[in-house]
Amino acid sequence: MNGLPGWLTDQQESADIEPLLTNAESFPLESLASESSAMTLRRFGRTISLYTPLYLSNYCSSGCAYCGYASDRTTVRRRLETEEVERELDSMKAMGIDDVLLLTGERTFQAGFEYLRACVELAAARMTRVSVESFPMSVSEYAALANAGCTGVTIYQETYNPERYRKLHRWGPKQDFPDRLEIPERALQAGIKNIGIGTLLGLSEPVEEALRLLRHVRYLAKTYWKAGLSVSFPRLRPEAGGFEPPYVVSDRFFARMIFAFRITMPDIELVLSTRESPAFRDGMAGLAITRMSIASKTTVGGYSHPAKSRKGQFDVHDDREVETFRAALKEKNIEPVFKNWEPVYNGPNIGHVEPAEQS
Amino acid sequence: MNDLKIDTYTFSSRLILGTGKFGNTRTMIDAIRASGSQLVTVALRRFNPDQPEDDLFSALTSIEGLTLMPNTSGASNAKEAVKAAHISRELSGSPFIKVEIHPNPQHLMPDPIETFEACRILASEDFLVMPYIPADPVLAKRLEDIGCASVMPLGSAIGSGQGLSTIDMVRLIIRDSNIPVIVDAGLRSPSEACAAMEMGCEAVLVNSAVAVAGNPVEMASAFAEAVNAGCRAKAAGIMPRSGAAIATSPLTSFLGKTS
Repeated sequence: MNGLPGWLTDQQESADIEPLLTNAESFPLESLASESSAMTLRRFGRTISLYTPLYLSNYCSSGCAYCGYASDRTTVRRRLETEEVERELDSMKAMGIDDVLLLTGERTFQAGFEYLRACVELAAARMTRVSVESFPMSVSEYAALANAGCTGVTIYQETYNPERYRKLHRWGPKQDFPDRLEIPERALQAGIKNIGIGTLLGLSEPVEEALRLLRHVRYLAKTYWKAGLSVSFPRLRPEAGGFEPPYVVSDRFFARMIFAFRITMPDIELVLSTRESPAFRDGMAGLAITRMSIASKTTVGGYSHPAKSRKGQFDVHDDREVETFRAALKEKNIEPVFKNWEPVYNGPNIGHVEPAEQS
Repeated sequence: MNDLKIDTYTFSSRLILGTGKFGNTRTMIDAIRASGSQLVTVALRRFNPDQPEDDLFSALTSIEGLTLMPNTSGASNAKEAVKAAHISRELSGSPFIKVEIHPNPQHLMPDPIETFEACRILASEDFLVMPYIPADPVLAKRLEDIGCASVMPLGSAIGSGQGLSTIDMVRLIIRDSNIPVIVDAGLRSPSEACAAMEMGCEAVLVNSAVAVAGNPVEMASAFAEAVNAGCRAKAAGIMPRSGAAIATSPLTSFLGKTS
């Protein structure tokens, strides 16, 4: 494929995970769960790190067919002003949250880089870990975010299938598939310490998605050896536009995929969000997942005014509050960890070798 | 069993415990008590005075007779580790610092270059510097030369449970060291801790093997007994291994016929 990185189609790089995903006879789900659980326990212990998303703005310039905040949706648009951001963060802090993921739509006049940078500063003054899931930025912009206290960037490719990608991203700068593949690298080159990648399950054939996602994380691990890497597994949820996912990812396949990632990548963070049901999340805790979102509101301004919350980016499936979820984890003898970082470690990663140009 | 001496501090227990990875704080405290440990390490990043239920530091200060050794886990270079050490000393009041610098957050292998630099600075600032290091005999001596209070070579990767896979290098470190050598990371079972003590380690540091055991409190106690047994065996003088079989036709029979 022209203009695409070699790792995307390098099947050897994912040969070990493929049978785990496709050969249920030789690799029964229960045996994968057992191996995955033991590996997770050894490396991460009986703990799960917790984070909470904060939606700063739902203005968006993109036309992602599957998103409740796409620019053709009739949802009410707003952004949080400084005092509101502070109030939201303070409300979250009062809930015990110390690790926040700041979200916006694609870059807009209302919520552009300077707005985001200012919000990162507000968050970093209160929380020890501040990540962003936002629009793509330049290396210098990511460096400025790191200096403002940003410790991580989450950026999903959505789908690793170029044809599906083109169809689903109907307009806007996000239409450029190869460009989006490079965004995690821009963040890492800028000194951002942690990168979260993922694929939106349901958009494309799931086995192929999993293989390409694994190749991507392996490529990043080899090229940026200091990068903290995490992989998320968001499954499509109902949203305002009524998008019907073309591929249904069953609970059993989903669990298989998560176990397979743990077995083939024993020491990376695996993330599960509140898109999933309480029963699924509780069940997966201790088997592979090491990081979970908690008490999520997907509306803008949802923490300090929960009653005013309207339709969010997607419907949260696990809407338990902090104390309820904490109790559920403790019931399973898993320690919920709210603070697992120290701002003193926030200096930019140095010493990354620039990747060689793709021929 | 003789006391463990680190600088001017003495500890009757030679088992040092890590405090991460436990399923709950209560179990961690019970395991520390069962182990008899008097020195435990805790990550600065798990200090959380804002939220007592999430704060390992305040939980540990509730145990009498315990000395804390804060660690710099999370630091990716010397500069960050030095800053973390300063904050740790302010918060905990402990002169001990476990220097732990692992720039790759996946495998968590210690960076020898950054570790050396951080130790050089911290030793000059009167910390009792306890570096977590690769099992490298040259690095160990370099760290002794700049004033570290001990060296803590890894037995194998953190959380791997692969035991003393670096045994030959650890033997060399022990043979040549004038400061306590403490095996840190990788031990899976009490027998491995016992073996480390029999080899001549002054102490062992264990976390995962206790924290993720089926019964962490019982396992902590078992490790304590094993460390004790290994230490006593070493002091009692372990029978040397026979070097080789004796040939039936002696190789040196000619010696009586040479004069």
